[in-house]
Amino acid sequence: MSIIQVEHLKSFFKTDEGIVKAVDDVSFELRENEILALVGESGCGKSVTAQTILGLLKSPPAMIEGSIKYHGQELVGLSNKAYHKLRGKEIGMIFQEPMSAFDPLYTVGDQAAEAVAVHSKLNKPEIRDKIIAMFNKVGIPEAENRYDEYPHQMSGGMLQRMLIALTLACDPKVLIADEPTTALDVTIQAQVLNLMRDLQNEFNTSIIFITHDLGVVAELSDRIHVMYAGKIVEKADVVELFDHPKHPYTKGLLASRLKREMKGQILPFIKGTVPRAFEFPEGCRFHPRCPHAMEICKQKDPDPVAFENGHVCSCWLYLKQNKTDGVESQ
Amino acid sequence: MIVKGTNLKKYFPIRKGIFLQTAGHVKALECVDFELNENETLGIVGESGCGKTTLGRVITRIYTPTGGTLEYITPEKKLLHLEKAVDKHQLKRFRRDFQMVFQDPFSSLDPRMTIGDILREPLDVHKIYPNQRERDEYIEYLLERVGLYPEYTARYPHEFSGGQRQRISIARALALKPRAIVCDEPTSALDVSVQSQIVNLLQELKEQEQMAYFFISHDLDLIHHVSDRIMVMYLGSVMEAGRADEVFHHTSHPYTRVLMKSIPHWDPKQRKLDKIHLEGEPPSPINPPKGCPFNTRCPEVMERCKKEMPQLQPITDNHSVACWLFDD
Repeated sequence: MSIIQVEHLKSFFKTDEGIVKAVDDVSFELRENEILALVGESGCGKSVTAQTILGLLKSPPAMIEGSIKYHGQELVGLSNKAYHKLRGKEIGMIFQEPMSAFDPLYTVGDQAAEAVAVHSKLNKPEIRDKIIAMFNKVGIPEAENRYDEYPHQMSGGMLQRMLIALTLACDPKVLIADEPTTALDVTIQAQVLNLMRDLQNEFNTSIIFITHDLGVVAELSDRIHVMYAGKIVEKADVVELFDHPKHPYTKGLLASRLKREMKGQILPFIKGTVPRAFEFPEGCRFHPRCPHAMEICKQKDPDPVAFENGHVCSCWLYLKQNKTDGVESQ
Repeated sequence: MIVKGTNLKKYFPIRKGIFLQTAGHVKALECVDFELNENETLGIVGESGCGKTTLGRVITRIYTPTGGTLEYITPEKKLLHLEKAVDKHQLKRFRRDFQMVFQDPFSSLDPRMTIGDILREPLDVHKIYPNQRERDEYIEYLLERVGLYPEYTARYPHEFSGGQRQRISIARALALKPRAIVCDEPTSALDVSVQSQIVNLLQELKEQEQMAYFFISHDLDLIHHVSDRIMVMYLGSVMEAGRADEVFHHTSHPYTRVLMKSIPHWDPKQRKLDKIHLEGEPPSPINPPKGCPFNTRCPEVMERCKKEMPQLQPITDNHSVACWLFDD
């Protein structure tokens, strides 16, 4: 069963430099009780996709087209008032930088309580108890005392746990996590990822996990969608994607991993750089960097091709050789 | 040998009240020893707050060390002591030989200078090319050297992507033909697909220009890839040091072992994060624990660790560890 169904979503922005097609014709679904990873480099549109789902983009300047259905309810064009009931309660969000997600002038407890109070009928002491219970659950030592402290008294890892705790205190069905561990150290990252896995099992939350880190994705996610320059270029189960990547971009990303046995050697890399948002190339947007670019890639954008096991890839390599059904080896 | 530090300390005072009395110290570096040889990469790895950036800045003498000695051996084999107030000319000479590449290519290039200006400045400060035409030719050569086009001299930093800007930073560091470059997280602000390009460039320069690097990163895989020797730091102290392959294949210190295990594996069939049990977070460097700095989180902590600080002891020829487990 899908909880969120996104179809032909477009989020464009009008800027002085031209129209930025941050998200361009993106379709995907979030299934019940899964962790779906949106993976890509900076400017690929992964964060804008999340912000569009949550109705966080002001329009204008944003121009949003297409459809986002949450349990059948259309979210595109929904009023701000209706969104208020949805955000936090139904769809929660965790941001990248825990330091800037909290207001430095209020205690962490007050801020958590404010978020919970909006969506529940509990009285103040009950809310306090609930939040302290959640703080305990995410492994905050001395949660009782921490409740009355200020954000600057916490470490980044602790704040990120608190953010997770206060988001989950509202029992959302969907959690959108935008690079939740990028600002954290590896040992703390491991703790937070474990925590998210455990909580997901306990609360049956569906998670959209946004990251650029394929290592994190391999540890955590069930399915992966790879984004490049505003488009989803490949969709697959996590094992399938790591074992049999199809899109040249995905292959390039996986190859750029530092392997121990490659010490001192020249590393494989994807030539060129990520294009800027207002100057995405015509045709397939990856073609100027693609080692397999053909004439057709420069002219037309490829349609997605479906393979077995729900593996989908948008690349002319497979459209031309449809009969061989993508047996192309690595 | 190019540079050697012994017992280096760096404390930052915390000032409080209207008279700014010193209320305590952030102990960023605590008795660190190191040496850097010609054409060698020394990798410094650790989590945030471990003192790796402070160490980089003490070595380039952006910071004056609070204690210990910092010795520089000039190309003419003369020994300079850099830990005290140094003669201006000597410091200038030293900095010509010791350049730096910073983490954030968006804030380390002046937005109001063209690329030409940025590369010209160090050459003019050190009066390298009195002849303007020769100087401009050299600037164009530098740009080509790092994989950019000579036409870029008239452009401004905002016209470039992160990877290209980092190439400009590297060109600026190279301009004075230094003996060593301190690279402080040179790729962590870059996209994955661009990171390897910069790493390849740095490796190429090491071979062709006989460069030495003092390479600071939180990324163990990256440190393993580029380094000849590495030092693992925690809370201002060195926990483990030695030849890179030695430290990676015979990891000894409990902290290094946890650090290694915490790196995600890139293999969804072998998930391993739930097998890691490391409680808590690094203590504050204002109030470090007594004894071994890692004793508050160490899975193998003993009574002795809470009382005495272990010293870095060699366990083989190319490998030393600061841990009581290895004290016989």
